[in-house]
Amino acid sequence: MKNFNYVIKDEVGIHARPAGILVKEAKKYQSKIVIVKDGKKAEATKLMALMGLGVKCGDEVTVEVSGEDEDTASQEIKAFFENNL
Amino acid sequence: MDYRKVAEQIYEKVGKKENLVSAAHCATRLRLVIADNNKCDSKAVEEIEGVKGVFFASGQLQIILGTGTVNKVYDEFLQVSGLSAATKAEVKQAAAAQQNVFKRAIKTLGDIFVPIIPAIVASGFLMGIMEALNFMVNNGFVALDTSSSIFVFANLFSNVAYVFLPILIAYSAAKAFGGNPYLGAVIGMLMIHPNLQNAWTVATEGVQVKQSVWFGLYEIDLIGYQGHVIPVIIAVWVMCFIEKKLHKIVPEMFDLFVTPLVSVFVTGYLTYSVIGPLFVVVENGIIDGIQWLIALPLGIGSFIMGAFYAPTVVAGIHHMYTIIDVGQLAKYGVTYWLPLASAANLAQGAATLAVAVKTKNARTKSMALPSAFSAFMGITEPAIFGVNMRYFKPFVCGCIGGACGALFASITQLGASGTGVTGLFGILLCLNMPVQYILMMTISIGVSFALTWMFGYKDEEAQASSASENSVEGEYPVIEETAQENVEKVIFAPIQGNVIPRENIPDETFASGVLGDGVGIEPETGEVVAPFDGEISSVTETRHAIGITGPGGMELLIHVGVDTVKMNGDGFTVLVSEGDKVKAGQKLMTFDISKIKAAGYSTTSAVLLTNSDDYQSCNVVKTGKSKHMEKIITVE
Repeated sequence: MKNFNYVIKDEVGIHARPAGILVKEAKKYQSKIVIVKDGKKAEATKLMALMGLGVKCGDEVTVEVSGEDEDTASQEIKAFFENNL
Repeated sequence: MDYRKVAEQIYEKVGKKENLVSAAHCATRLRLVIADNNKCDSKAVEEIEGVKGVFFASGQLQIILGTGTVNKVYDEFLQVSGLSAATKAEVKQAAAAQQNVFKRAIKTLGDIFVPIIPAIVASGFLMGIMEALNFMVNNGFVALDTSSSIFVFANLFSNVAYVFLPILIAYSAAKAFGGNPYLGAVIGMLMIHPNLQNAWTVATEGVQVKQSVWFGLYEIDLIGYQGHVIPVIIAVWVMCFIEKKLHKIVPEMFDLFVTPLVSVFVTGYLTYSVIGPLFVVVENGIIDGIQWLIALPLGIGSFIMGAFYAPTVVAGIHHMYTIIDVGQLAKYGVTYWLPLASAANLAQGAATLAVAVKTKNARTKSMALPSAFSAFMGITEPAIFGVNMRYFKPFVCGCIGGACGALFASITQLGASGTGVTGLFGILLCLNMPVQYILMMTISIGVSFALTWMFGYKDEEAQASSASENSVEGEYPVIEETAQENVEKVIFAPIQGNVIPRENIPDETFASGVLGDGVGIEPETGEVVAPFDGEISSVTETRHAIGITGPGGMELLIHVGVDTVKMNGDGFTVLVSEGDKVKAGQKLMTFDISKIKAAGYSTTSAVLLTNSDDYQSCNVVKTGKSKHMEKIITVE
């Protein structure tokens, strides 16, 4: 499993629009991608769960990537976070 | 992942070929129909690499493999198992799908016509009266001051909605097909451009102007498409198809300029040169066929035509019928066609009247009653499109009634001395045989009304098959809770207002479908209710969006307004919290429309099935003005 921490910079946090593109991105990989915030976990492919985390601007989340393509997936997801969130 | 290996393992564990009936797949699941569930080791299937879950539902073994994987495994599975696309079960499915196309076509017609019914009902009613009055004045039955402003203006008002009907249809069709309705209207206008010869005059004056197209390849008749329905809908469909493709390809900078121009030009050229002329050829063929049919002896032809008259109105061929009337008047001095048309029109009206009398639904009644009277005056479009076609059985009953009336007219040699007025007032053209005309009317109306009354319409069926209109203020239909997977998954309108296609939501993320398929609603009241029985899965801290999980695992996002996250909850009150179980119709949230507007955001709210990928289809069944708890989406 690969993981990294990230502080959200997007002003609305992981809300509908950012969450939607995150889901779309996460579906590209075979690996399971989990977002953890204050102990609460949500699969990045599940929009409702993601929004349920209530991640706001300035919150720190941990992203866990596990599966066959975890090396590339975690790198690309990290880049995705930096560019979009 | 080795797709071949996965397929082979699944094949092994489900009991090989002798246990397999058919295989299919949706976006995420491989769906197998198994002969004997006991011979299938579903536990072992679950352990195969790549399989994310296995369960039995809807009589199928469903193996979750995920998007992008399932289709590849499916292809391999077909090879491994030797199943072909032509198994009995699939043929059956194909047959069912065929039927659905027909049903869908009727539904589409309904979606297009229902919003424009108010316009054509009013006009049709007035047109029937004015045609009759004009006829009576011209032939000295009544003395009226035809130069009075009321009479002159009423003549103008009466036919305007029909003269410009293609524009109304085009606008509504573009909305239904998810294109720009104003561009749709332009296509409609194109088809009845005042510089084109009016289609109604072709019967008497012949084609005036021809135009060479496709660089001299062939010539078309340069005529308008007044009174046409189907070519307009097809043209608009083509336009929406082109428009949507272009939106994707054309860079945003040029989109506003290039997309409308190209979609209108290409569609216009195709319409004038291909779509329209093809229809004219088909129509001419049909007219020739009709001429031959009605010449058949013993009233057989009339009986058949009496039945098929209404379908030809649906196809928009009826504007050609003057040619038959005129031809017969020249040949026999009377026209046998007009009584036939009257029989068919009256019968459709009677079917609608039966629906009007029988239904307890206030909205259906209020639409059916004026439509029926309009049909009795000879203007059947509101009755056919607004009521009979939607419930379909009344349409068939009307056709049978029309056939019986036409048969009687033919046997008694009922002929009319002129043309232009059908329905009740058609009797004025048959004053030499009034008794026969009255009997013909009685038969058409009687048969059609009785059949519709007995077999053609039931409130319960109609409610199930069409959009639910049952929701009188504050009274929501009760939905039975059920755990079965194959039960119809329905999303009812959580917000009262104008339902628009997802693509038209003024926000790229929602419109693009990234968040799932669904609709937008332009709210009229600031109240959100539960769209089905379910559980609240998320409530955003800013109180403007609610996630709810419902029957069959549907996950629905109700997002009030666009960009309203920035309002930080001001103006929003959520009445439930995460994990709450809610009943369909239960109030979930209130919001202040004026506050959203004042803050400068669009109030258009997104209602999206966020896991629509997990289902085969997500069909929007109602657009336009909707009340709380009207059926707006069905999911399969």
